[in-house]
Amino acid sequence: MQVIEKTRWSGLKVALGMPKRKVIERVKSCGLTGRSGSEFPTGLKWESMAKERGKKYLICNADEGEPGTFKDKFILDNNPKILIEGMAIAAYAMGIREAYIYLRGEYSYLKKKLERAIRESGPYIEGAGLEIKVVLGAGSYLCGEESALIESIEGNRPIIRKKPPFPTEYGLYGKPTCVNNVETLSYIPLIILGKWNPNLLLFSLSGDLKNPGVYEIAAGTTLKDVLAYAKPSMEPKAVYFGASGGCLPYKLFRDLPIDAKSVSENGAILGARSLIVVGQKWNAAEISKVLSEFFVHESCGYCTPCREGNFRLLEILNRMCSGKGENDDIAHLEKLAPHIRDTSACALGKVSTAHLLCGLKYFRENFVELAKGKKSIGLKEETEKCR
Amino acid sequence: MQIKIDGKRVKFEEGETILNVAKRKGINIPTLCYHPDLSPKGKCRLCLVEADGRLVTSCNTPAKEGMDILTRSKRALEARKLNGELLIANGKEENEMEVMKVLKEIGVKGNHFKTPRKVTCSGRLPIEKDDRKCVLCGRCVQVCSEIQGINNIGLMNRGVCAEATTPYNLPMLETPCTFCGQCALVCPTSALRERALSEKLVKAMDEMGNMIGNSKFYVAQTAPSIRVSLGEMFGVPPGTLVKGKMVSALKKMGFDAVFDTDFAADLTIMEEANEFVQRFSSGKNLPLITSCCPAWVVMAEERYPYLLKHISSCKSPQQMFGAVAKTYYAQKIGKPAKDIFLVSVMPCVAKKFEAQRPEMDSSGARDVDMVLTTRELGRLMKQKGIDLAKMEEGEFDRPLGISSGAGAIFGATGGVMEAALRVAYEVITGKRLKKIDLKEVRGFEGIREAEIDIEGTKVKVAVVHTLKNIREIVESGRWKKYHFIEFMACPGGCIGGGGQPRPTTNEIRKKRMDALYRLDYKMKLRISSDNPDIKAIYSEFLGKPLSPKAEKLLHTKYKKRAPKYF
Repeated sequence: MQVIEKTRWSGLKVALGMPKRKVIERVKSCGLTGRSGSEFPTGLKWESMAKERGKKYLICNADEGEPGTFKDKFILDNNPKILIEGMAIAAYAMGIREAYIYLRGEYSYLKKKLERAIRESGPYIEGAGLEIKVVLGAGSYLCGEESALIESIEGNRPIIRKKPPFPTEYGLYGKPTCVNNVETLSYIPLIILGKWNPNLLLFSLSGDLKNPGVYEIAAGTTLKDVLAYAKPSMEPKAVYFGASGGCLPYKLFRDLPIDAKSVSENGAILGARSLIVVGQKWNAAEISKVLSEFFVHESCGYCTPCREGNFRLLEILNRMCSGKGENDDIAHLEKLAPHIRDTSACALGKVSTAHLLCGLKYFRENFVELAKGKKSIGLKEETEKCR
Repeated sequence: MQIKIDGKRVKFEEGETILNVAKRKGINIPTLCYHPDLSPKGKCRLCLVEADGRLVTSCNTPAKEGMDILTRSKRALEARKLNGELLIANGKEENEMEVMKVLKEIGVKGNHFKTPRKVTCSGRLPIEKDDRKCVLCGRCVQVCSEIQGINNIGLMNRGVCAEATTPYNLPMLETPCTFCGQCALVCPTSALRERALSEKLVKAMDEMGNMIGNSKFYVAQTAPSIRVSLGEMFGVPPGTLVKGKMVSALKKMGFDAVFDTDFAADLTIMEEANEFVQRFSSGKNLPLITSCCPAWVVMAEERYPYLLKHISSCKSPQQMFGAVAKTYYAQKIGKPAKDIFLVSVMPCVAKKFEAQRPEMDSSGARDVDMVLTTRELGRLMKQKGIDLAKMEEGEFDRPLGISSGAGAIFGATGGVMEAALRVAYEVITGKRLKKIDLKEVRGFEGIREAEIDIEGTKVKVAVVHTLKNIREIVESGRWKKYHFIEFMACPGGCIGGGGQPRPTTNEIRKKRMDALYRLDYKMKLRISSDNPDIKAIYSEFLGKPLSPKAEKLLHTKYKKRAPKYF
């Protein structure tokens, strides 16, 4: 894998020898895009940051909260120095002297490791005039959204800010701020050295697999080929793209390349490239119930559709799964799910019903079965047993 | 720059929101969490419109060149309705409230989601909260931080468990809350409200009326700003004077005597102006800071104990009235103080707290027995089937019913200052005041400064309203450079108080304020010391301002209080 290449600080040395403009030019020309799932061109973000004068900040977003995603943890755990080197280069290119790593609260055990790595890289990053602080996440899923993350560092309740202005104009403490993902920043040293292969992408694979884990997959590879390595433990039924990306049936997706285009063409979102493979045994409505619980728990409470709507969705799903489904339950689900998607204030609300929309599209019979009173298998208890 | 709203081309200015453009053109879009005095947040999602095929919240989406907006498309209407259903699925229905009006407007009738979400209800002094009604619009949070700068209400927890509450969910008495009540004033559902006493009053009066040989004597006093706002609850436009009608309505409700707090305001001015002249000539404890506003007094006791010696020792008009009614007036009618039941109607929630202060009993009984807010009185009248708008004009009773224009303007920011300066001028110079209108201290700006020339002596004064502005003046140390400062906690002074009718916006506040100044302008008596009832009470009872008797009855002391959380 390219990201676990040992750091020899040669990327930083080369970058420091280049004019800042050239560094940004190279990042721009290689076509690197945000690896959190946003796919925003990194070079463009850097360019607009470089234009800003005065105090500005760099934040590495290590608040990897998407269920089924653990590629950033893999980098932080195995090769934190490549991230630090990437941050140093980014800071140099944009003229930043203060940087933060916003580490997911649940990754607190990595904090010491990360801080040791920063200490050890002291001589190198000081050369770039950079100071890096590690901030522990406040524990909410929403903290992974860049403006909520900024609010959280400032000590406020993590609520999304209205955009525009974007963080590159008005960010941390009101100053221009560049927020980049761990994986994005980790590729920077390789890009500077010309060793980066843009066709290799990190995927987090989990679910009913014998070999779950982080995989590096070349663009264009089909799901079937990947699963040949990951080895499903039972006949796959569907693939869920984290909690917020929705799902696609295995039969449909099996022979398609795993990329954003082919996923979105079928009505789901690839996002941060986490694939949760689900076996035939499971019922899509029950999976939706579990995911719905997640969103009810993580909704910040700011806007009506996400706060109340998801709660009501869960209410209906709970009713269905406990065999007390009512006639118009599915009709309500079909009314509420797109409503929440269309009228929520932030991205969390907008994606919070993707699982249900895809589930109803591809596995409608599962919902109908439950609505008619078929006994559920009790997904929660089953998964508890698996652990 | 132009946009298209419902097919019509409309010009707009840079930065204007879709809602504002539509309002300007007379197109109605329902709103709930939006309040004209607060920054738009787009939380309730009831103001959805379709802009270029996307649903957006009109309250906080700026208009953009060429935008095509449909305010009544099927999709927008349905989305609004569903959000409305989701909102009330949680709560109790209260027909009078703003939330119900909005929901009716968007066609919500009942909902499919039957179970209420939360069933906690906590009664706290003097503001109560009922979570079943709360729709988490966040206006109370905003008003407490954006307007008042107290930051005592915030959202706790997240998702459906979110709750607007005090820091660490502490009881309000243990927090830096000043009980200004602005949170209750902006609440569209009355989930936050003043601790309601009107029902207790009705019960007490009914019971007493039925008893043979009932010796209780019910007395009402009405604050200066009530007369320009109470009418709003009966469909009268803001800023209409309903003084006479209010008096007859109160009489009809069963009060034995109805008096004017304006009289007590004149009394306050006599004491306070003399106190000011005394301090000004001796140079001690300057600046003098007004003490009429109970929310400000609580704030000073909690946050700025070093200012307590600067605050005028005068009780507020409400408490002065109580002390006088239960001594001077009690003597006149030959009843003991304990037999007088005094109800004051105030535009204020903090007055409920003030009346309960243990030290407010210098008359031998509680100075004030019960405090109702303007809203409560309005509701009570409605319950009793009294239509204020149709009442005849009545007159306040004597001997505590005559007041000057100076007493009336107490209800607006700058009023106390102006009233005090009118008397102070005469006390200092011994001459009649020619220019009565002191326009320098009037207005709606948060902080107003002026230098008043009293026969060559320059008096530096400041008039400040909203707690946020008070914080700014005090914490920056600017307060030290004045001789006399008026602090009022609520925007606009008492006319914008926390107990006033909903809705209250700055626009409505200004109308009420104008009405008070008009009232003052039309009056013959405009200086407190000219009031014949005031002259009588001093010659018959109190002696002169700041006499030992006046000190005992009309003055008070403050003490430092430390809220648990700070």
